[in-house]
Amino acid sequence: MTDPADPDPEKGPKPRHHVRSRLMRESLLDREVERSTESPVYRMLPEAHVLKIGGRSILDAGRDVVFPVVEVLANCLKRWKLILGTGGGVRTRHVFSIGIDLGLPTGVLAQLAQADSLANAHMLGTLLAPYGVVAIPPEIFGHLLPLFLHSAPGVVFSSVPPYSLWEHPPGVGRIPPHRTDAGAFLLAECFGCRSLTLVKDVDGLYDADPKLHPAARFIPEIDVAELRRRKLPTLPFEQVLLDLLTNARLLDRFQIVNGHDPRRIQAALEGRHVGTIVYRNRA
Amino acid sequence: MIDDDHLLTELGEALVDGSLTDEELLARTSGPSPVQILPEANVIKIGGQSFIDRGRAAVFPLIDEIVSLLGRHQMILGTGAGTRARHAYSVGLDLGMPTGVLSVLGTFVSMQNARMLNYLLAKHGIPFIEPAQFAQLPLYLAERGAVIFFGMPPYVYWHQNPALGRIPPHRTDTGSYLVSEVLGTRSMIFVKDVDGLYTADPKKDPGARFIPRITVPELRALDLQDVVVERAVLDFLAHAEHRRSIQVINGLVPGNLTRALDGEPVGTIITAE
Repeated sequence: MTDPADPDPEKGPKPRHHVRSRLMRESLLDREVERSTESPVYRMLPEAHVLKIGGRSILDAGRDVVFPVVEVLANCLKRWKLILGTGGGVRTRHVFSIGIDLGLPTGVLAQLAQADSLANAHMLGTLLAPYGVVAIPPEIFGHLLPLFLHSAPGVVFSSVPPYSLWEHPPGVGRIPPHRTDAGAFLLAECFGCRSLTLVKDVDGLYDADPKLHPAARFIPEIDVAELRRRKLPTLPFEQVLLDLLTNARLLDRFQIVNGHDPRRIQAALEGRHVGTIVYRNRA
Repeated sequence: MIDDDHLLTELGEALVDGSLTDEELLARTSGPSPVQILPEANVIKIGGQSFIDRGRAAVFPLIDEIVSLLGRHQMILGTGAGTRARHAYSVGLDLGMPTGVLSVLGTFVSMQNARMLNYLLAKHGIPFIEPAQFAQLPLYLAERGAVIFFGMPPYVYWHQNPALGRIPPHRTDTGSYLVSEVLGTRSMIFVKDVDGLYTADPKKDPGARFIPRITVPELRALDLQDVVVERAVLDFLAHAEHRRSIQVINGLVPGNLTRALDGEPVGTIITAE
């Protein structure tokens, strides 16, 4: 059994020293204890909107696509507090391919990906600088976010979550599962933000990739359960968002919009349905 | 086979153009098998509530044993959080803190424990490193044979919610395990205050039976109310490329850590299959 000299962990020669609390002495792995910890969640930034600006779909597409997006964002900053995450785009895909070729594990690939998204954050921050918006270094971003947003109309951040070497091993292949969509989602959920919008280069979700299948049918709204049931071959957002949305306590949906028609970004912030809305539970 | 006209491999081109939600493309990203970054190192997680909260009576003998192993085994020592984290979680839940903030609070406690171990091992030149200093870990390990880190993964505000309740699901077992997986270490040992896995909590149920060796599917089939390591570790074991087994040992028994590092089964070994 346990140490024969120490049958009771609370007594014996090597006792545990506890701080009195509701969870004192409890195993946090016990399902009943886990269940007992459900509680309402406080919203830190209920007025802020989180937008993830696509890497490959927007920023890599160059001036013709990016400048109109910046113009719309500048307008939106007059009305709303914006938290803008950036994708890593084609450079992240490139470093993944080199890293895989060199035999580097998932956690290292996740660490490498931070650089590309951060570079894109600095480019977007430069373009938004005239409006008081800059890229914030990841080391201070989370902790100081409420202060930044109180003082500025918005912030730009590298949307790669800080999983780095601690990235979860994926079930299939070696690509880090928590990329920039997940980083934007987790941030919006933790800070209790008003909305999450993923700005991409497609109108939303289709039953097949519309770039490869022109006859693909558009899906204006759907929930997680139905999405799982349909097992679509590809998604215009990271697969892990389905798990994150299932377990979300504050966010109950996100919207994918086409940033190549940037008016839709503003419409989405106005609460309009202009892309595909994915619901946690469309009751 | 180097073709100057092709800047990317075929896989590289597929990654640049394709969708990372495409299962067929993802399946192509699994080879060649990853390098073992630190194949000689062992990750050892020292429990918070189970070990460090017992104070001097439990910690000092383990410190002596760790010192006696320096030069024989490379050790990356992760720390648990324990009773103060439970207090912080209790207060935080009552105040409505999101899971990401609870993760920050848990990190602080596991950092306190890492600092305490660090001071006890300081005269042997053993450093405590934070995640930002992991690039120096190989040097410290080569020079001193051991380093200390806090076991919480650095997810902070980006910590995902659990399905059940609101306590951060990826705590110090998971953070330590992921270090052993990504670095491709020789072993992952969890130092706790029980001999390993039982059919029930031996502290509460005297009829609990000991399990010396078990696979993740067998463990899942038991559908235990309580388990000896965080459930996420079991999920990741099944997906892991390197660290396909872990060992849970009773660190209150002198010599157990040494025997485990020498390859002797002294606790419960959990394997992916």
